Amino acid sequence: MADKAGKGSAFPGGNDLGSLKGKSAAALKESHVEIELSDSDGEGFIETPLPSSKGKSSAEAKSGKKRVSFSSLKTSGNNLFNNSTAGDLGKSSNVGKAGGKGSLPQATPLEPLIAETQLKLELELPKGARLLMDCEAAEVLQDIHEHMTVLSQDPKIKMPESFSKAFQYSKVNDHYNNAKAVRQVLETLKLNAVTDGEICLMGNVCPENVDEVYALIPSLKGNIEKNEVALKDAIASLAKFRTPK
Amino acid sequence: MFFHITLERNMQLHPRHFGPHLRDKLVAKLMKDVEGTCSGRHGFVVAITGVEDIGKGLIREGTGFVTFPVKYQAVVFRPFKGEILEAVVTMVNKMGFFAEAGPVQIFVSNHLIPDDMEFQSGDMPNYTTSDGSVKIQKDSEVRLKIIGTRVDATEIFCIGTIKDDFLGVINDPGVTA
Repeated sequence: MADKAGKGSAFPGGNDLGSLKGKSAAALKESHVEIELSDSDGEGFIETPLPSSKGKSSAEAKSGKKRVSFSSLKTSGNNLFNNSTAGDLGKSSNVGKAGGKGSLPQATPLEPLIAETQLKLELELPKGARLLMDCEAAEVLQDIHEHMTVLSQDPKIKMPESFSKAFQYSKVNDHYNNAKAVRQVLETLKLNAVTDGEICLMGNVCPENVDEVYALIPSLKGNIEKNEVALKDAIASLAKFRTPK
Repeated sequence: MFFHITLERNMQLHPRHFGPHLRDKLVAKLMKDVEGTCSGRHGFVVAITGVEDIGKGLIREGTGFVTFPVKYQAVVFRPFKGEILEAVVTMVNKMGFFAEAGPVQIFVSNHLIPDDMEFQSGDMPNYTTSDGSVKIQKDSEVRLKIIGTRVDATEIFCIGTIKDDFLGVINDPGVTA
């Protein structure tokens, strides 16, 4: 087990936060702690649009459009809280998960569902969660992989399959040669009402033009007047950091 | 999408592990228990990056086990509806094709494949456009959008589409070979 302690250099004692390259330490100090539940909820495919009290676009709220939000992926306990605060869209409180009221969730047609899906990651995440772009995750996992290479010589220690797959995936999708610079460029978009989730998605997608961004991330269209110029600048900056294929 | 989050877990340790290396044993057990697992809320726990705090142990009555609350940070991978992913095709059949993005499996139904692509059976089943310019077969890289997710005890399964703009084949293995 002494070898495990080799990786244990990533696990300092006391109140130190670990070996993740310093930038996240400050963010994580205020982290919201999630206590793991014993079993995951068995969740069905999400088809029911949920009323969301945190709708970003007032125009959409007024039009009363059905919107699929990620609050549908929450556990049933949280869904009950959502029900009590929701109602801006005037929809009935049929929640797919907490259907304990006896009514069946309404299935919506597939085409409108696809068209109106919005990326609302912030509704789903615990407060302290930090999104990692694939390039950032590749750096972190590379670090861990180097530790694990030493440990894997011990036949009792197996590398989890999901780690290998996730590591391979992050390496393949790491299109940039400087993850920190990419993060800095994209962080400036926050001033233009772009959310963390949208920023992360932009980093992963490597868009070549603004049309591609708006097509792939429809939620950005809501603030097109605010963000179009900034997005064009960001895309031009990102092109400098792209690894040639 | 990858996340870096703080989680807490109650770890039980058998008295035989008590001693000067108690902390190391606890961390090792945590890694063994948690890495590679999947939860509905957080997705796949890809790797633990640090242990933030280990609380005081509570001895359970009747057994000698001690329960420690452990706070740790981990990289997790979880797909979301509306997310754009680049996945590798693993299987093609007339109902659609399966693809993998990291530890996540995604199925794209033939209803969500552009209408100009037809299924071609054979040794290497594939979807091909009428002019043969674009082909989706095993090991092709495709960009797709997640439109639904389902979580089992140990894995997350997604439904995707390539029927929108800027989605579809990125890399055809037949061309680059």
